[in-house]
Amino acid sequence: MSDFLRDYLTVGIFGLTGVALVGLLLGLGSLLRPTRPQPQKYINYESGVDPVGTGWGQSNVRYYIFALLFVMFDVEAVFIFPFATRVDAYGWFGLIEMGIFIVVLALGLLYAWKKKVLRWV
Amino acid sequence: MLASLWQQLSDSPVPIDSVDLAWAGLAPVMILIGGALLILAVDSLVPRRLRPGSYALATVLLAAGAMVAAVPLWQRVQDAERGPFATAAGAIMVDGFSVFATFVILSAVILAALSFDGWLRREEMDGAEPYVLMLLSASGGVMMASANDLIVMFLGLEILSIAVYVLAAMHLRKITSQEAGVKYFVLGAFSSAFFLYGIALIYGGTGSTNLVRIATYLSATVLGDSGLVLAGLALLLVGFGFKVAAAPFHFWAPDVYQGAPTPSVAWMASGVKVAGFAGLLRVFYLAFSTYRLDWQPVIFVLAVLTMLVGSVLAVVQTDVKRMLAYSSINHAGFILVAVQAATAAGVQAALFYLAAYTFMVAGSFGVIAVVSRKGDIGTSLDDYRGLSRDRPVVAFAFALLLLAQAGVPLTSGFFAKFYVITAAIEAGSSTLAIIAMITAVISSYVYLRIIVAMYGAGDDVPAPRTIPLPAAAGLALVISLTVTMSVGVFPGTLASLAERATPVLIPESDPGAVDPSGVPPGP
Amino acid sequence: MDNNEFLTEWGLTLMVFLPLAGALLLMVIPKAQEQMIKVAALGAALASGAVGVAVLANFNYDSSEKLQFVVNRNWIEAIHANYIVGIDGLSVPLIALTLLITPLVMVYSWNHFPQPHNPQAFLILMLVLATGMLGTFVAQDLILFFVFFEVVLLPMYFMIGVWGGEQRQYASIKFFLYTLFGSALMIVSFLALFFVAGGDSFSMVDLAQGVADRNAAGNLAMITQVLIFGGMFMGFGIKVPMFPFHTWLPDAHTQAPTAGSVILAAVLLKLGTYGFIRVALFILPEAAVKWAPYIGALAVIGIIYGALGCLAQTDMKRLIAFSSVAHMGFVMLGIASLTTFGLNAAVFGMVAHGLITGMLFFLAGSVKDRFHTLEIKRLGGLLLQAPKLGWILGFCIMASLGLPGLAGFWGEFPAILSAYNPAPALSQELFRTYMVIAAFGTVLAAGYLLWLFQRTAFGTPSEEFADVEIEDVRVSEWIAWVPLLALILVLGVFPNIIFHVTDPFLTVMGNTFAGLK
Repeated sequence: MSDFLRDYLTVGIFGLTGVALVGLLLGLGSLLRPTRPQPQKYINYESGVDPVGTGWGQSNVRYYIFALLFVMFDVEAVFIFPFATRVDAYGWFGLIEMGIFIVVLALGLLYAWKKKVLRWV
Repeated sequence: MLASLWQQLSDSPVPIDSVDLAWAGLAPVMILIGGALLILAVDSLVPRRLRPGSYALATVLLAAGAMVAAVPLWQRVQDAERGPFATAAGAIMVDGFSVFATFVILSAVILAALSFDGWLRREEMDGAEPYVLMLLSASGGVMMASANDLIVMFLGLEILSIAVYVLAAMHLRKITSQEAGVKYFVLGAFSSAFFLYGIALIYGGTGSTNLVRIATYLSATVLGDSGLVLAGLALLLVGFGFKVAAAPFHFWAPDVYQGAPTPSVAWMASGVKVAGFAGLLRVFYLAFSTYRLDWQPVIFVLAVLTMLVGSVLAVVQTDVKRMLAYSSINHAGFILVAVQAATAAGVQAALFYLAAYTFMVAGSFGVIAVVSRKGDIGTSLDDYRGLSRDRPVVAFAFALLLLAQAGVPLTSGFFAKFYVITAAIEAGSSTLAIIAMITAVISSYVYLRIIVAMYGAGDDVPAPRTIPLPAAAGLALVISLTVTMSVGVFPGTLASLAERATPVLIPESDPGAVDPSGVPPGP
Repeated sequence: MDNNEFLTEWGLTLMVFLPLAGALLLMVIPKAQEQMIKVAALGAALASGAVGVAVLANFNYDSSEKLQFVVNRNWIEAIHANYIVGIDGLSVPLIALTLLITPLVMVYSWNHFPQPHNPQAFLILMLVLATGMLGTFVAQDLILFFVFFEVVLLPMYFMIGVWGGEQRQYASIKFFLYTLFGSALMIVSFLALFFVAGGDSFSMVDLAQGVADRNAAGNLAMITQVLIFGGMFMGFGIKVPMFPFHTWLPDAHTQAPTAGSVILAAVLLKLGTYGFIRVALFILPEAAVKWAPYIGALAVIGIIYGALGCLAQTDMKRLIAFSSVAHMGFVMLGIASLTTFGLNAAVFGMVAHGLITGMLFFLAGSVKDRFHTLEIKRLGGLLLQAPKLGWILGFCIMASLGLPGLAGFWGEFPAILSAYNPAPALSQELFRTYMVIAAFGTVLAAGYLLWLFQRTAFGTPSEEFADVEIEDVRVSEWIAWVPLLALILVLGVFPNIIFHVTDPFLTVMGNTFAGLK
């Protein structure tokens, strides 16, 4: 086999190994673990409380927007905290940069507000 | 407290290397992003509605402003002494190629914005959102075209794509638009994941995500085992192939083109395609030219598949938007033929093709937007019967644009195909050239069907109807037609621009020659 | 002297682009001003014709093998394509033919434009067509040639598609796709040729020189040349049209409006045969030798097939269209012989076929105008109802079947004769076989044409038209037809008018082939 093709063989082996590894671990697990099925074990975990209704129950679509807004500010916090701890190291450049970042996000919030997204209809 | 902060900042020992930014080089992107935010702020803060058309006008002005900002960049990179340069720690490359692509993308923005104006008013959806999204998407496109680092490329790709997902789903009352948005989003997210995984593998294989460093590394080192790099390259190709709608990653295109709002499609088919191909060319030529022999056959197969799918499946369509969707797949295949050549002439041909195609396709979808009726319906072939009687000028313009897409001489489409075929033959791929021309003939049947529908007289012509032609849409049509026809007669100007946009991409035998000054010193 | 300089520099360009300028002018004239539109269109065609006549009058017929009135300007530097135009003995007769036909067609259409009534659009297309045709005959640069060659396609497509008969959409799309398919392969060939010949010029002379140099140096593979010739063969062969690519022709002719049919028959088909001589044979003589036997075979198949096809037709226009396939077969046979004699015959055949078949389509159009049908079995007794029309038809049919003394003879007879003695590199036995078959084709031609004449002109009018008043030849028809009829006669008596012009150039070409083994 030429070197040229051997490179592709490597790719193939790489892929196969990945698949094999997953299969191996899952298979091994199913061989080793004891299986004693009970109805309780199939109940969704809801922080220790018995769930109400099925797992496919619909939630109000309006929550979705709150979730999005939450994620937005969550991500914002993820960036701002590390920045705040090292504010001196970044200097003015960092402060302006972070200012722009916050303004852009605030603009998004302003837009959401003006579009009456924040009001519960 | 503020005083202490002030103190702290002023005393800062600056232990972190401040990044040297050549702001001028980033000006077009900055104008686009800043403008988008500005429009968003105005839309949120102004209590009453602005005069209709203000946002479209603002968008056109912003794009034109970005073009103006790009002119000195072009002069600079063409200047023998100053030349192309890298900035942002070598993550952004400003060269002829990136500036050329920027111009094309901005032209697409202008055309799509003009087309949006009347369309939005007809659909009673007047607002700032489409323009904001398009500007942001364009900024991502420009970023992709000038990315010198795979991470920046990915960033551009995502900014570009996410805005376009929303643009596709923008028509709230039209279920097919929602479907288009979801389809595009799910498949697009998949392809982004592929792309990211590809970057990871290439980083693993070469130790860098910077294109110049990758090129340097690959040419300086003989990899005993290039498996990682090849796998990464393949995954990147999947990501790009999806964006440019190359078979077999094209399945989303017909559905999305049909369902999405027509002006959004104008942008998708022009600007997004340009950005995708610009990224593809940059990565494959610049960083992986040493692996040419590996990726050329792959692109060969992709090009053949793409052209065949695009031309043959277009024949059986009955919806004009779907027809043009398949035809845009065929055009993508043509550009892949140029990519496959892997020569300077190939890059030049691809750029010329992209520039010419942008005007043709944006103009064509502009016509579709005008001809369709409220609710964004009325795009089937039957709706075009009798158009030559109801709106003779629009019908004539559409016919010319379609003929340009077919590659008829004296239109820009002819020279676009001409350059591609020249590049392919020069690179020794005559087979590909022949296949390409045959598919061009097949797909010209599609354009003829539309023309026949518009000009056919007879019993099946529906009763006359009035088709309003908004002034802005008319202007877009005039621009695209003027460019298409004038490039068709005198292609020299555009060709020489494309030629001067090319050479920087391909490193000479010494990859350091790309632009050593742009490469920051290693750690 | 000043006058001459101007003509040398601008004559051809003006001749080619005046019709186009006329078309642009027509676009701005309001649609309601019909008379003005017609006058402007005819004016543009005549102006182009006048410039053309001036050029042809100043053409140096004593050295007609040389390119004259050459203009060489930069056009698209990036691809080395130049605006090179010039004429020599090969192009002169065809240019004259084109300059003649265009105004005549306009005059013929003067008072009865085809439905849907839109003289403006119709005349614009006609003028664009004229520019394309003239441009093809003067272009000396392959890219320029290709552009003009393709420009012809669109107006014709619209002419058939908009003003055609019942099946116009099918016919126009078929015409367009066939021709485009040929062109697609042809452009690939042109580009391959460009790189093979050195890659610095698309000028035909340079390309021929480049190929010849590489052949002399022996470093150009024959297979490459043969393949490149193959692409051109597809492009030109479909346009001619040669069997088996001829199927677009009957449909296109039958559906096209009269004016379209006439131009198609008179000039458009010649673009293919002209291209064979001007481009394919001229640049790739060695490959031409390899291809000639096959071209000859297809040519004689076309002759016989066209004739048999004619015998099976029930529609007059379709019959004439099939006869075109047969006649172009004779032209191609003359070309395939690769001799000076055969090539001369071919060029003469092109002109003669243009005049005669053009006339026949005019007549078919007039018959259709009067009877609203072209079905042969419903016609009859034309000589009784419209004697002048009938006799003109008879005259043209005689010319078409190759009666000595009329133009058709000098295209057909020498072409057959040339196959007796083909170029030395070709097999004599094979070509003599072709000759016999082709000669048989003339018998068939006489058969179907006389049969057509007998069924339409002789006898008494059929019952359905017995009481209908049929108008004889109109004034506009006289104006359009007299020049053609006169030329058919004059060229039949003095064929040297054309042979004298074409011979020097074709002798040079024939000598090239005579030198090849």
